[in-house]
This record gives sequence, C-alpha cells and structure tokens, in this order.
Amino acid sequence: MTEVVIAGYARSPFHLAGKGALARVRPDDLAAQTIRGLIEKTGVDASLIEDIVLGCAFPEGEQGLNVARMIGLLADLPLSVGGMTVNRFCGSSMSAIHIAMGQIAVGAGEAYICAGLESMSRVPMGGYNPLPNPDLAAKSAGAYMGMGQTAENVAEKYQITRAEQEAFAVKSQQKAGAARADGRLADEIVPIQSKAGVVDQDGTLRPDTTVEALAGLKPAFSQDGSVTAGTSSPLTDGASAVLVTSEEFARKHGLPILAKIKAISVSGCDPETMGLGPIGASRKALERAGISASDLDVVEINEAFASQAIACIRDLGLKEETINLDGGAIAIGHPLGATGARIVGKAAALLAREGKRYALATQCIGGGQGIATVLERV
Amino acid sequence: MADTVKKVCVIGAGVMGAGIAAQVANAGVPVLLLDIPAKDGADRDAVAKGAVAKMLKTEPAPFMSKAAAKLVETGNIDDHLARVAECDWIVEAIVERLDIKQSLYARLEELKRPGTAVSSNTSTIPLERLVEGRSAQFRQDFLITHFFNPPRYMRLVEIVRGADTDAGVAEKVEAFVDRFMGKRIVRAKDTPGFIANRIGTYWLAVAVNAAIDQGLTVEEADQIGGRPMGVPKTGIFALIDLVGVDLMPLLAKSLSDTLPQGDPYFATVRPLPLVDRMIAEGFTGRKGKGGFYRLDKGADGKRTKLAIDLATGEYRPEAKPEALSPAAEKDLAALVTVPGKVGDYAWTILGHVLSYAAMLVGEAADDVVAIDDAMKLGYNWKFGPFELIDRLGPGKLAERLRADGRDVPAILDVAGERPFYRVEGGVRQYLGADGDYHDVPRPEGVLLLEDVKRRSEPVAKSASAALWDVGDGVLCLEFTAKMNALDGEVASLIQQAIPIVQERFKALVIYNEGSNFSAGANLGLALFAVKAGAWGEIEKLIVGGQQAFKALKYAPFPVVSAPAGMALGGGCEVLLHSDAVQAHAESYIGLVEAGVGLVPGWGGHGELLDRLAKSKGMPRGPMPAVMKAFELISTAQVSRSAAQAREMAFLRPSDGITMNRDRLLADAKAKALALVDGYSSPEPPTYRLPGASGRTGLAGAVADFRRKGMATAYDEVVAGRLANVLTGGEADLVDTVTEQQLLDLERAAFMESAHDERTHARVESMLMTGKPLRN
Repeated sequence: MTEVVIAGYARSPFHLAGKGALARVRPDDLAAQTIRGLIEKTGVDASLIEDIVLGCAFPEGEQGLNVARMIGLLADLPLSVGGMTVNRFCGSSMSAIHIAMGQIAVGAGEAYICAGLESMSRVPMGGYNPLPNPDLAAKSAGAYMGMGQTAENVAEKYQITRAEQEAFAVKSQQKAGAARADGRLADEIVPIQSKAGVVDQDGTLRPDTTVEALAGLKPAFSQDGSVTAGTSSPLTDGASAVLVTSEEFARKHGLPILAKIKAISVSGCDPETMGLGPIGASRKALERAGISASDLDVVEINEAFASQAIACIRDLGLKEETINLDGGAIAIGHPLGATGARIVGKAAALLAREGKRYALATQCIGGGQGIATVLERV
Repeated sequence: MADTVKKVCVIGAGVMGAGIAAQVANAGVPVLLLDIPAKDGADRDAVAKGAVAKMLKTEPAPFMSKAAAKLVETGNIDDHLARVAECDWIVEAIVERLDIKQSLYARLEELKRPGTAVSSNTSTIPLERLVEGRSAQFRQDFLITHFFNPPRYMRLVEIVRGADTDAGVAEKVEAFVDRFMGKRIVRAKDTPGFIANRIGTYWLAVAVNAAIDQGLTVEEADQIGGRPMGVPKTGIFALIDLVGVDLMPLLAKSLSDTLPQGDPYFATVRPLPLVDRMIAEGFTGRKGKGGFYRLDKGADGKRTKLAIDLATGEYRPEAKPEALSPAAEKDLAALVTVPGKVGDYAWTILGHVLSYAAMLVGEAADDVVAIDDAMKLGYNWKFGPFELIDRLGPGKLAERLRADGRDVPAILDVAGERPFYRVEGGVRQYLGADGDYHDVPRPEGVLLLEDVKRRSEPVAKSASAALWDVGDGVLCLEFTAKMNALDGEVASLIQQAIPIVQERFKALVIYNEGSNFSAGANLGLALFAVKAGAWGEIEKLIVGGQQAFKALKYAPFPVVSAPAGMALGGGCEVLLHSDAVQAHAESYIGLVEAGVGLVPGWGGHGELLDRLAKSKGMPRGPMPAVMKAFELISTAQVSRSAAQAREMAFLRPSDGITMNRDRLLADAKAKALALVDGYSSPEPPTYRLPGASGRTGLAGAVADFRRKGMATAYDEVVAGRLANVLTGGEADLVDTVTEQQLLDLERAAFMESAHDERTHARVESMLMTGKPLRN
C-alpha cells in the first residue's frame, strides 16, 4: 500500500469565542490564511495539490456553502485544486486526514491539504437552526444531549472527582504556558491578519491558574455536578491545516516528513458518555498498527473535558509522561472542526521534535464516537 | 443645523463628570473625557479610562447601551487639552477649588475656539469668582450647568448665566441639555448652592436638629417628614444614609463659607457629636457600614434592620411608629396641628423650610415655579415648596409664622390668602412677585397631557382609560388605572376609539404621564376571576385584548405608542402592535408574563416573532427568530433603556427615542402625523414555524438550564407552553401558519397556565410581596 505521510502542520492562533481577537474574523478568511501559511511554510507547489478536505462541525452561515471550495478561492490556490467540506463534529478534520489517506492509497492524487475550521463566535454550537428529531430525542436521551452533561456522566461513571479534574486542567495550562514561554508553540502558529491588526499569539491560555482558583468556580452544567468552565475546553475560534501526501511525493519534492500514518479508526459509543469515544477508537487503531499503548511515545488526546480525558487515559493505560506535551484543549482551546487536524499535526510534529517513534492522536465526538490516528516516525 | 453641539469635552472624570459624559454619549453625541494624567503606570489616560470602566460596572447603569460607551473618548489634560478646539461645549467638573478651576480656565482660554461654551458643574462657587481674570470673550462664553447625581437619572439641571454671558451661547447649551441630554432646565441666580441644594441642605439640617431636640426616633422623623409631605419614603434619615452621612459636614462647610451673613441656614449649624462619631467609625450610610439605619446579620444569618437611637447613639431594632391618622397623612394643615410631637415636628420642618424657600424668591430664583421645579426634580419631592404652601394655605402659614414671632417672607405677604398656583381658563398660572398671576411657562415645543386635561374634557373614557384631543387631528389614548394596568375597560375603549379617529382625527397616540406606561394586565383582577372560577370571563379578557390590539394594528390610521418607564407584559404588547413607537430614553420594556407563570396573551408571541424574523442580521431558517423570542419571553427579559429595547427588538430601528420626558408627547404626535400621508395598514404576517422539531431543540436547552439550577420545575412547564406557541403547535415546517392560528395557540397556552395552581401561587406572591415566586 502507498505510504501516506504528514508533510507539514500549521494552525492559526486560538482565541476565545465572542471576546477573543478572532471573533471579528470571518471563518473562511481565517482558514484561507492558515492554509496559505501552511503552503508557504512547507514550500509545496500548490498546483500539485489535489484537493482541500476541510472539517467543520457546523458548516453553515459563514462556514456554509461548501466552505472548503470558497477557502481555496480565497487563498488564491490554483483553480485546479478541489474543495470538500467534511463533518464529523469534533472529529471532522481528523476525518479529513483519513479521507485523504484513503484517496492517496487508491491512487486518487498525491497531495492533500487537510484542514479544520470553527468560528464558535460566528456560528453558534448547535447551528442556527437546531431541529432535532422528536422521536429520536424520545428514544435516545443522549443523541442530542449537551456535551457538558456527557462530561458529568463520564465523571460519575469513572468516579473522577472534581479535584482530579482540576489538577489535570492546571497541568494542561502549565504545560501550554511552558511551551509558549519556551517558544515551542510559535513555529506552528500562522499569524492572522484581522481588521484590528496581526494576531500571532493564542488568547486562550491561563498558565497562572491554580487548583485553588478552579475550586472556586461554580459547576457549569449541573447544579450538583463536578465539571466547571475551568475543567472544560473553552469555546474557541481557530483553524488548522496539515499537508498529507504520499511518502514518495514528499521525498520527490523535498518536503519535511514529520511522520507516516500507521493506522486509523473510528468507533461509535454510547452518546450519553461520548467522551469515552477515544477508548474504542484507540484500541482499534493500535491493534491495526500492531502496537500496544505501552509502545506510544507521544499522545495527543483531545481535552474536551478533563473528566473524559482522564477516563480515557486511565482506561487505555496511557503513560502520563506521553500526554499532551505542550498542553491540551483545556488550555489551548477546542475550535470543534479544527481540533482533529491540530492534534494529528501536533503529534507528528512532536515525534519529529522529540525524535520518538509512535504517536497516537485521538478524540471524542458528540453523538457518541471516537476517532484515532496512529503515527510512526519515518 | 450648523449651530448645534456636535462634540462635547468633559474635564474631570469623577462621578459627576463621568456621569455627564455618559449622558452626552447616551444622546448619541461623541464626548472627550479628560482627567489629570495618571501618576504612575504607562497609560497616562488611566484615570479617565478607569472612570469609564467603572461606569460599565455601576448599577444603576450610567450608560444606556454599550454603543453609547464607545462614544466616550478618554484622555488627559496634559496631553489632550488642545483638543477642546474640536468641541462645541466644554464642561468642567473638576475638584471644587477656585484656584484650580481658575487656572484650568486660563489654559482653556488659550485653546478653545471663541464662542465655544464653557460651563462649570460647580455646586457652590459663584460664577463671578470663577471668571475673575478672564477675557471678555471667555466671560461671554461662560456659564454654570449644575447637574445632579446620577446625571442619567436625575432630571434637573440648574443653569446660571453670569452678567456677561452671551445669550446665544447659553441658549445653545440649554437647547442641548434639554433636547439631547433630556434634562429640565431651571434658571438659577448666581447665589451659593443655587436653588435645590440650598433648600435641600437647609431642610435636612432643620429636620435632623428638630428630631434630636424634640426627642423623635429616626423612624418617626422619616414617617412624618416623608410621605405626608410628598417626600420620597426615605424621608430625612434614610435619605442621608443614601447620599452619605459624611456629606453633611461638607455641605455645611461649603454653604457656611459662601452664604451671606444672616442667612437662616447659620442658625441650623451646630456641633452634632453623634454624626461626627458615626463618620469617624465608618457609619457613613449605605456606602459604609450603615448609617442611621443598618442591616445586622445575626448568628442565624437572618438580617434585622436596626436604627440608631439619636439620644444614646446605640443601635436598636427598627421600631415602626404608630400610623398617622388618615387626615394627617393627606392634609398638611391637619398634620401640623396634630397635638404633640407629630404636629410639632411637622410644623418645625414646614414652617422653616417653606418660609426659607419663600425668602429665596427673587434671591436665588426669579419665581416660585423655578423653586418648585428644582425641589421636585432635584430631590424627587412630589410637591414643590409653593405647592406645599398651597396645600397648607398661604394665609395660615403666614399667620402661624407671625404667631411664632418669626419673619414673614415678602412673597407670602404678596400672596395673602391667594394660592401660588391657580387654573385660569384651563391654564395653570403662578403668582409672581409682582402680585399678578402669570401662565406657567412651557419650553418651546413641549406638549403635556397634564395641560390638555386641565383645559379640556375627554373625548371618551372608560374606567381604565380615556381619550383626549391633543390637537392637529391627533387623538391620545391614556391609561388611567392604578399602575396603568390593562383590563377589559381598556380594550373596549380601544374599540371605541377606532371609529372616533376614523371620523374626526388623523392618527392615534398612546401615551400617559404616569411613572410607568403600563405594568401590564391587572393581575389582581385576573386572580379574583380565577378564584371565582370565572374561566369564561378570563378567556373573554384574552380574546377581547387580542381583538382590540389587532384592531389597533389594522386600523386605517397610524397608531404611535409613546412609552416612558415600564412597559411590561400587555404594556409591551401595545407597543408591539403599534405602527411606530416614540419611546422615552428611560423605557423599560419586556414580556414578563413567564415570571408569574403565564405566557403573553394579547398577541405578543406573533408580533415579536414577526419582527424578529424580519430584523436585520437574523440568520435564515425556521429557528433563529423562534429561539430569540423564546429566550426573551421565557427569561422575562426587560430592557434597561430604550436603546437596549431596540437591541432586543422590542423597538424597531425606525422607532424614535426622546431624551426629554417633557417632549415625548410632542415627538410622538409628530411621528404619528408624519405617517398620515399615504398611510396603509400593515399586511397580516404569515409564519413558517419549525413545529415539533423546534420544540425538541428548545426543550433540550431548557433542560440544560434546569440542570444548572437556573430554571425551576414550573419554569420548565411554562417554557414548554411558550415553546408550543412559538413553534406553531402541530404545524409542520412546510405549513404556513396564520396570525389567527398563532393567536389561538396563544390563547390556549394562556388558559392552560391560568388554570395551573402553580401560576396562582406565583401571581399571589407577586401581588403580596412584589417578588416572583420560584416554584
């Protein structure tokens, strides 16, 4: 089978929805600038790109009308480059990578831009017209359940205390803060031109937070619950992009090969505990890769909520020192459709940076799914 | 118009300066707010910026909208004073020190354009002292504009012109303060404390001293010195707690320093060891640890209200005094003759304060109207001093003063037995110092229903509403019930009004001069009907209201509503059915029925949905307007200003906002007349509604609120009924829902709520305690 590699990763700065520096930036502009940044950074010849596959969880409004194509035009890519918008909620842009991998494997092109996008400022979570099926809502309480509630369910099922969640969140913030201070985030960030000026730093991090500060917050989703805003990923604006090519293409064009994709998977689970999705998906992917959790050197697990991340880490037996080395979504943010490409790109970049062999990128998905990607350093 | 104020500079970002700047911004006019440069830190504008930031968190809010806050530009007087050249009016509101003010004026003189007005917000320093050493040009451009705190909410501005003040310059400022900032102007003379604070300070000093001397408790003093005299229920001591106990010695000092020798005020000045001790110990009033009253939190967490004993200085539980007799409550002449401390105390206050006010005619103000206006608007008195004298009887007042061996002010001699106010030929007149009656002047363009009512009979009336001819072919519908509550009597007069307007008028304006436009349906009456099981009557009330409001909407003439104060529930629905609204800037609008377990019943659902669906920027699809309407109604949101009501879609972008309450009727009338030519009534809307799917989405959102503890069990039930109406009941996405279908759904939802005992519990709680029950 054709080997498929990650040959570049970039993202926009991430900012809090509503009040952050990207709130007034159109999502299509945000993604177009991010993709331009990726192309410039990798030096790939844009005319050789087959398609833009772009993940977005709420592809409507300014993110609608097959926004992937619009972004290609906005980014002044050659007209020959296609565009497809993919939706698997939070797993959207990881699915974009999986789709590209499949396309390359069957010989349908050699180079893909796999991107992700969400402006949670400009398109509300749930979309403008939430019209759930009344029969399904009656039949399956979890189908349309709020994400916060699923996080509470996971905390309860796995008996994860509020203090544990808070300790996890503080650690994520500290790791992200240290990474930024050491300049380890700068090279993945594409500066974004907004009307108010250039935005080149994340606006989401709270590296100085403490367990004491978090302990003072009110439960965010349930009066007697344990999940707070401090132990949840914030509503975020952001875009990400990964260059996915055949290994041969990368070598021929002198592109930096960060890692090759070893195995992929998706796996459904109970919607009421959707945060456990990574467990089934990761098991499958690891099995397909022929390795076990103990072989992993780098893990990027999306921190939709501390409770679900802790539950997955515990259930999968992941080693703590491999987890989210530069911080996770609790600190960096979780622009739904953009997260998948970010964590795959990040995992690949970390393998390259740390000189390690195996990485896992995995995340949970609303409605009850998990998605996973296993990478190997070439 | 070239000659209007287009930009203002306010110097001094203290509470008053910042508040004045906010009110300029509320009028939609850009304002430059300057203060001294910050002593430390990188940002030299930090002082003025900090003032704006603080105002954004202050309650009651100085700003009417977030957009207004953006009109305030901040700076400092070292770097930016030259920018006064951009401004058409410069307001000085810095520290009350003559030397500092004078040196600022010396700088302004160099920088400002000739002809640009400069006014001081001083409350104590005479104008003549302020302009010492200034050029002739500066003196021409200078006046005093004395605002009251908080500038957004207090309607009084005292304006003092100096001997050299140019009339044109002063008129330009006055026009701006009146029309843009919404204030009523009282012309004061250049005397210490001007009018309101001079009388007000004297009043409080007399009342405090007398309470101590005559052995009254603070509760007794507030009871006698409060409501019977038309003074807010804070009376004397609770008012001092509100403004700050520590302000008393400051006011005493500033007035003592400036008042002419022999002024009766000096007789009130004496050591008050209790007050000194309270200030020293931090009992400075509500802003401090408490004042004459304070709340004490017991070990059980329960709060008890304590009051200070004026003799011992010790706090003790508040003791409500025995109620006054109905006669003493209503009749001032009876009050001052009650034997014992009630009558003595009332007479001490009224005898002193009213004669002091009378003495100031000619000295502090030209006429009694200015003095009455100043006290009514500056101290929220229901009656001005001369209106109180009329209630007491001018002759009786003079007689008793004489009996006490006290001087009788000249104006009382002029009056003799005649009242200070009379109505002649339907016009209110006041007694001038010349002994003649003169019409009470109204500023140009002001039209008051009060005046119309004085000079004419209603065209028609019912028990809860009346129709008035307000001229130029415009009929005015006035609500007249308590709180301007709406009931079947209002609905029937609306139906009567329609043929009347068609035959004899061109347009209808819905307006009244109550504190609130309407607090909504008469809940007491509704609860009575519920208790009596008069379901048919209740349904009739709903259908009757729906029909009346739709009749207004589709009447073949323009209907303009002009709210001020609260327009809640049914009051809001009146606005929603009008062709246009001309709202006073201080309009508090909302559909609040859910708070008492009900849903809007008079067409509010459909009207709000329709205008939200048509509002600019609303995303497409069946849900956005439904979700917004659901949010507004289910959480009973009320706007904090007309500007905010516009953001919330209770007002349309084309609806007008009037800053000056006195100009509201005239503006509404003009708006109605402007719609007359080529008027055609609106086409009934049709709706595409999401049906059960939309309801499922809304239910999910409410369940989340419930889990978060933000909605109660019955909130969820009421929200479900509301959702049923807003999503079109059994309608499917592809169906067209008519206005009448929506009204039928609304009526059914209302009746279901009316039958629910949990609604009754909420209504009873609201009627008994004024607070919503969270069941």
